[in-house]
This record gives sequence, structure tokens and C-alpha cells, in this order.
Amino acid sequence: MSFNVHFRDKNLSPIWHKVQRGERLTLEDGLAMYRTHDILSLGKMAHFVQQQKSGDAVYFVLNQKIEHTNICVLSCKFCDFATKKGRPDAYEMTTEEILGKLTPHIHEVHITGGMPPDWPWERYLDIVRSISQRFPNTDVKAFTAVEIDFFHKKFKLSIEEVLKQLKEAGLRTMPGGGAEVFSERVRKLLFNQKIGAKTWFDVHKTAHRLGIPTNSTLLYGHVETLEERIVHMIKLRDAQDETGGFLTFIPLAFQPGDTGIKPKNQFTSAIDDLKTIAISRLMLDNLPHIKAYWVMLTEEVAAVALNFGADDIDGTVGGEKIAHDAGAVSPMSLAKDQIIKIIRDAGKIPVERDVYYNPLNVYSDNVIGKIPYLNSIPFYANFEKRQFKMLPVAPRRMGMLSERGGIDAGPFSLVDYLRQEDKLELMGWCIATRDQVKSVMLFSKEGWADLQGKKIGITDETTTSVKLLQVLLEKKYGVQAQFERLHSGINDYSRFDAVLLIGDEALRRNKYGLDGFELVYDLAREWYEWQKLPFVFAVWACKRSLAYTTKTELNDLLSRSLSASEEDFLAGALLSGARIGLTEKETQEYLAGFNYRLGERETEAMGAFGQLISEVEGMTSSKEAIWGE
Amino acid sequence: MGLSDLFARIRTGDRVSRQEGLFLLQKAELLELGSLANEIRFKKNPEPRVTFVVDTNPNYTNICNVDCIFCAFYRHPGGAGEYTYTVDHMIQNFKESATKGVTTVLLQGGVNPALPFEYYVELVERTVKEVPEVWPHFFSTSEIIGMSQVSGLTISEVLRRLWDAGQRTIPGGGAEILADRVKKKISHLKGTSADWVNVMREAHKIGYKSTATMMYGHLEKDEDIIEHLEVIRQLQDEHHGFTAFVPWSFKPGNTPLEKIIPHYATSTRYMQIIALSRIYLDNFPRIQASWFSEGKKAGQIALHFGADDFGGTLLEENVHAAANFVNKTNTEECIQLIHGAGFAAAQRTTLYDIMKVFELREEAAA
Repeated sequence: MSFNVHFRDKNLSPIWHKVQRGERLTLEDGLAMYRTHDILSLGKMAHFVQQQKSGDAVYFVLNQKIEHTNICVLSCKFCDFATKKGRPDAYEMTTEEILGKLTPHIHEVHITGGMPPDWPWERYLDIVRSISQRFPNTDVKAFTAVEIDFFHKKFKLSIEEVLKQLKEAGLRTMPGGGAEVFSERVRKLLFNQKIGAKTWFDVHKTAHRLGIPTNSTLLYGHVETLEERIVHMIKLRDAQDETGGFLTFIPLAFQPGDTGIKPKNQFTSAIDDLKTIAISRLMLDNLPHIKAYWVMLTEEVAAVALNFGADDIDGTVGGEKIAHDAGAVSPMSLAKDQIIKIIRDAGKIPVERDVYYNPLNVYSDNVIGKIPYLNSIPFYANFEKRQFKMLPVAPRRMGMLSERGGIDAGPFSLVDYLRQEDKLELMGWCIATRDQVKSVMLFSKEGWADLQGKKIGITDETTTSVKLLQVLLEKKYGVQAQFERLHSGINDYSRFDAVLLIGDEALRRNKYGLDGFELVYDLAREWYEWQKLPFVFAVWACKRSLAYTTKTELNDLLSRSLSASEEDFLAGALLSGARIGLTEKETQEYLAGFNYRLGERETEAMGAFGQLISEVEGMTSSKEAIWGE
Repeated sequence: MGLSDLFARIRTGDRVSRQEGLFLLQKAELLELGSLANEIRFKKNPEPRVTFVVDTNPNYTNICNVDCIFCAFYRHPGGAGEYTYTVDHMIQNFKESATKGVTTVLLQGGVNPALPFEYYVELVERTVKEVPEVWPHFFSTSEIIGMSQVSGLTISEVLRRLWDAGQRTIPGGGAEILADRVKKKISHLKGTSADWVNVMREAHKIGYKSTATMMYGHLEKDEDIIEHLEVIRQLQDEHHGFTAFVPWSFKPGNTPLEKIIPHYATSTRYMQIIALSRIYLDNFPRIQASWFSEGKKAGQIALHFGADDFGGTLLEENVHAAANFVNKTNTEECIQLIHGAGFAAAQRTTLYDIMKVFELREEAAA
């Protein structure tokens, strides 16, 4: 990636060096970034990290917001939403009223509200349960840490018990509200009735342990100092190191409204907004996403923020506000169209997502799938973009998007390619192993022979490795096991007898081990020792319908990128390796184990594997509901 | 043609060709384009200072015979809500504005064929005489063409008469997109691109200064935007009569064009246009950010993409308001917005002379 930042503010240069090397930024770095007037250089640094994390993707969701009541036991200064029971503006929604407000095609419902004094616990569970049952395609994101803490105290249940019961009722993720600013000074000034940082983190970390990913927020632009903002980000970063459970970070610009709080300025400046987006992208190096929440940022700032580090623009939010009244078109579809337009104008790929940020639909041409694993870096490291756009996506998701026409080319998981052979055309490259792989691993409590009838958790990301596992179990070892898909959030592995992991997660676990799973099997080695053949995990292919000139240009670009990567060992790869915890030597050895050119031996291996799959699929054993997408 | 080569050549002062302009608009990364424009802005105007004017945009009539499909403001003669104000009424309006500190009155119609040429001359004469606190920045090219039609005078004669009455600047509105392919579709009665250019040329010859505008985000293609920039750059080479370039985006509310173009243009597009115009219009001294048409926050951001003027405070405005697009500010907030973007604010006259500087206190930029 050729990348020159021409700094007007020289104080940013040392920070840029750190960013390029993937080094963590300090409080002082954060403050220097806030002090700069050179916002375009700041934006470029954040955009660099944004592209490393998300390529050209910007995520949105078809969502709705439910505020079940505005009656609240608290009286926070900065809130002009809450009221007291009996006042004329007070309302409470029944579960039926909530269900009546939802439209079936949304994928995420966001539920937060006041904390009324007299609702029973069952009423909250009923809301979550009823939505999950009535709208199976709609995932529930509900209740801030403040509400969870309220339930814990009011219903005399532990925080863990509250979250467990909500999860059983269908809760998928939690919003990040109630964090405000992690500063006791500010809390005492503005929201002394609300929970502090400690409780907020307790709730979120407990949620993460239970497999409930959450969002995080910062409310800025009132009385907080710049230092307090950066410290807030650093506290989130530390927690993320511990749990990995935060999906996205949402800086929320304070809106004075009728709150009675008088900030220095009536509204935050757009420059402050963009700085905060960019700085959070740079400080929060371990968060997957940064959200430009247009409802509070304004559409004008949110749109520009997509080049300042934000890869997430929330969603249609019911469509009420984003769209002006334009006759027959529904506000929802107008809102969706406008969001797609905003993302496209920013030069990005509009990606409609689910509650876990899995891509569901892609609204762009010339999309190249990018497997976000260390072993795929050589394809992309010297890829000059031209007209192509990069979408980082796990192998199985790439296959699913391709079925809907959303991917124009990419390294397809072998099984996905074989399934879509009529639509896809092979290119000359693959991701194949020689003898071992180190990143397609079965972590097991039992030896192969003892896995008969046992339950194996299968990563959400794979289509080919799971078939390889099945072939090995049934044809090499003569045993049949039950497979169960893990979901793409955080998982509890302990209830399985074995777990199949792939990619960087498998590499990391291969090095550091997975608690409780003593035996570790490398599936490529198992295959090699049995068949004396390499194993082809993925093959590059493009849509047959792609224009001839586009195919040619793409082929040239890939060829040049791969050759350049092979000649000059990659700083980028070493950096990614270091993030997983590999030494330079380990990263080099790992990458040396791959063959990226589709030759005779690889073609032979594909044939052998295809034959074995058809034999296994002809039998009626170890069947699972994995393929029914 | 490589982007980095092109960037390097532009940095040495090379003029951008049409083809290169198109290439920049379509291929350059947003922040790369912005940085280059910002660099050029600071080369031309090294002060970290942004100018603004205390002004107002009243209208003397909303009767109009031009029927532009992007407009929600005009009425036909006899139509509901039509109005035409007397010269007395307007003078009173200007006096009230003057008491509020207004220094520039940007006055436009409608193009009302029932008004005699003397009406316009009288407006100018009496404004200069009776309200010396304000500067008359009157009449778009369409109205000047209309005056020529009702009076039988040539464009040049009309402009000469207004000059003699005391007018020295004219606003740049009515250009829309100076590409006839598009102009015919959105404003077929408004005249061709050449008509707008002709009025401006005649005015600049006499010694008038004017701004140049562009309205995008409707039926134009990228090529039309480049054509527009090329036309005004060529005209600027002749007389250097343009003081600033002011692009804004089409607002669909309540207009016939809304059915085809239901969405507002995005702010990303606006930043591209601002940056590209700074790079392309190498002979324009200023690029104006329009907080009013694009939003206050978009206006602030544009100051980092090559713009160095923040437009006016617009005490009164009726045309965007008719499209349900309303933004209000006052002098104090205008200064605060400029400070918030990290610049000193300077109140200016219509001709960009600085009247008063409001320095940036560092904490305001946080």
C-alpha cells in the first residue's frame, strides 16, 4: 500500500510512524491528535486503520428503535426523555403494542427505555421472548448496563442471572449506552444517579463471558475534558483486551436540547466530531468497528466520517428522521436508499449486516472478497486498488454472499466453489498446504477413534474445513460425530467434546492452547499422511459474467501483487502475525507452508477430495443442519 | 495518467485540463483531494482565517416566468401567494436590516415581466441614497435579461444604467449548470449557458464584480460539472471579475424535480466539489463554503477542503425555505462556527475587504 501523508502539523509524524507499525497509542498521542488543526492528516491515518480492519466495507442494518416506556425512577440532568408516572407525557407500551410497531423485514431491534418503578421482571423477559418468537429474522439488542443494573437491584438477581435469563429469552447483543464518560468528576457533576464506570464494565464483561457481545459509547461535548475522553477510550481498550466482546464504539455528540446543561458551545463542531471519530479509530486498535451514528452526528458529518475511520453508519432506525416526505415511497426504503447513497458516495461498499456484523447483502459492483486471515495477505499486500473494492469476509460468508451475487471475485472456500461451479470461473491461484497448515485445527478432549457419537463445535467461518473433518472422521477413522455450528459471537466451548477452528483464531489457539482440550489435530497433516497430497482450502475464482477486460485486469493485478509479495517479505504479514502473537520466524514459517499457485498436484487433490465428499454425502451419517442456509 | 504524477504537477502550479479534472473527481480519494485543495488554499491565502459577511437575501417578487423544475419558490402572475413589493417597501426592509448590522443586501426576484425597467433603477438609486449602510448586491443574470426584454435596451445598456444608478456588484445565481444539455431539462426558459456567460462578461467589462455559482446534484453528469468549471475559468481569464465561486446542491423538497431526484446530495459529494473547484479554478481568489445550503457542520468541514469564505449570515431567505430546507444563524453563531472549525473569523464587505477580525481562542477549537 503506497501511502504518504503530507502533514501540515509535524506533531502528527511520530504518531503516524506508530500507526504504520501497529503500535499502541498513548494518552499523550491522543491529546496531540485532539490539539491538531490538521484534521485531514488525522483523517488519513484513521482511514488507513479503517481500511486495514474493514477494507472498503461500511456496515448498515435495517433496524428499529423501541422505547418501551419513558417513566423512570432516575432524574438525570442531561436527559429530556424521562418523566414520572402520572404525568401527561408518560407512556408504557404493552408487549402487544411493541410487536405491533415492528416491521417484519428488519434485522435488529434496539430496545432501551426508562426504568419504571412497578414493572415485574417477567414483563421484560416477555418482550424479548415475544419478539424473538414472532420475528425470527429480527435479532434483539436490548437494555443498557444502567437498566441491567436496575434489574439486578430491583429483582434481587445477580447481574449474571439477569443476563442469563435475558439470553435464554432471546437477547443477542446489548447497546453501549450509559457509559457517558468514565470519570467520577463528570459523573458527580452531571449524572450522579447513574452507574459509574465500575458497574458499567462489570455488566459488559459479564455479558461477554456469557456470549453476549455489546457496544460501547462515549458521550462528549458537555463538561468533560479532552483528557477524560482519551482516558475513556483507553479504559475501553483495556477491557477489550480482556474479553474481546465489544463490537463497535459509538461516540455520541451531546445535544443540549431542554436538558438545562450548558456546554461551552450549543452543538459540538463538525471538526470535533470528525476528530473524535478518527481518534477513537486510532486509539481503539482492538475494536472491530467505529460507528458514525447519523441520528446524533447529523447525516452531513456521518457521511464524511466514513473517510475518517468509521466503518459503521448504524441503520435505517425506523426511517422516520432520515427521509423527507417524498410521496409514495416508504420512509424505510427511502432511508435505506439514502444510506446506500451516502456509503457509495464515500467510495465504499454498502454492506447490509446482521446483529453480529455478518454481511447479508452487498450493494456494489467490483467487490473482491478478502479472507481476513494471515495466510491470505500475500494476495492483497501489493494490490493496487484501481476500480476494485475490498470486502473482508470469512470464507463461509463469502460463499453465501456469492450465492446472492454480491462477490465478483475472491478466494472461495473450495466447497463453495464446487457448489457454484456453474457461476464461477477458476483463476490460477489457490490457498493450498503442502503437508501441514497450523490454522485448521481440531481441539479435542478425545482421540479420533473415541469421537464416535460425540458433539463437535464447528466455527461459523468454514465450509471446506468442516467437510474435510467429516471426510477424515468417516473415511479415515470410521467414526461418526454430531456437528453443531458455533455462532459468530463469543462462544462457550466447554460443552463440546471437540471444537473445529480455522484462520487466525486457530493459529493463536494452536500456539497458546485451548483450555480443556488436550489433543490438537492439524487437519491438513491428517489429510497429507493419509492421501500423500496437498490440501486445497480455497481457490481464486471470479463470476463468469464479469467483463473480459475486468477479468484480465484483475488477473494482472493479482499476479503482480503475489509476485511482489513473494519477492519482498511482508511487513504487513509480520505485523498481522505479531497481533496473533507469532514471532517473525513463526510467521515466515507459517506462510512458507502455503502454495498459492494452482498446479497439477493441487488439481489432483481437489479431484480426490471431491470424490470423497460425494461418497460421504451419499451416506446418511453424521448429518447436521449446517448446510441449510 | 497516474494520480500521484498529476498531484505532483498540480503542486508545481500546472493548470488542470478537463480530462484531468474528471479524473480527479472520479478517482481521487476524498482526503487526498481535500489535502491538495487545502494546500492550494493556504498558498493563496496563508492566514488561518475565514471571512463572512453580514447579509440578507430578501425578494422583491416571487412572480416568475422562467418555470425552473428545481424551484419551489416562484408563482405565476395571479397564482396563490404571489407578491410584488413596491420600492418603498423594499427600502423599508433594507433600513430594518441595516439596524441589525447588515452590510450586504443580496436582492433577487422572480423574473416578473410586469415590472418596468425604471423600477430596478429606482431600487438601486434609492438604496444607495437612502440606506448607505448597505451595499446593493442585486439581480441575477435572468433578471438582467428580463430587464433588457422589457426595456428594449441591450444587456450592456441595462448594466450601464444600473452602474450609473450606483450598483457595483451582481450575485452569481442562475448559472445552475453551465452545460446546455442539462440546462434545457431543468430550466428551459432561463436561457442558455451562453446567456449567463454573456451577462457576466458584459458586467465584468464595465467593471462589475460578481460571484459565480453552481447548483449540482440533479440531472448533471460529472462531465457537466467539469464543463461548468471550464466555462467560468475561461471567463475569469478575460476580466478577472469573479470574486468567489459558490457551489451548492439541489434541494428536492416541493419541486417538480423531486419525483426524479428524491434524495439530497451527500456531504461527501459537496467536499469533492469544493476541493475540485479550488484545484480547477486556479484563477479564482476564493471558494465559498455554504453553511446555509449544506448545513452548518458541512460548512465547517468544507473549510478544510479548500474553502476560505463562509458566505453570509442570511438574515432573511425565502427560496430554500420554500423547499423546506431551513438553516438559520446570526453573526455570533457564524463566528462561533468558524472558530469551531479552527479558524479566526473575519467580517468582510461584499468586495471581501476585511472590516473586523475575531481571533480564535484556542480552547474554542477543542
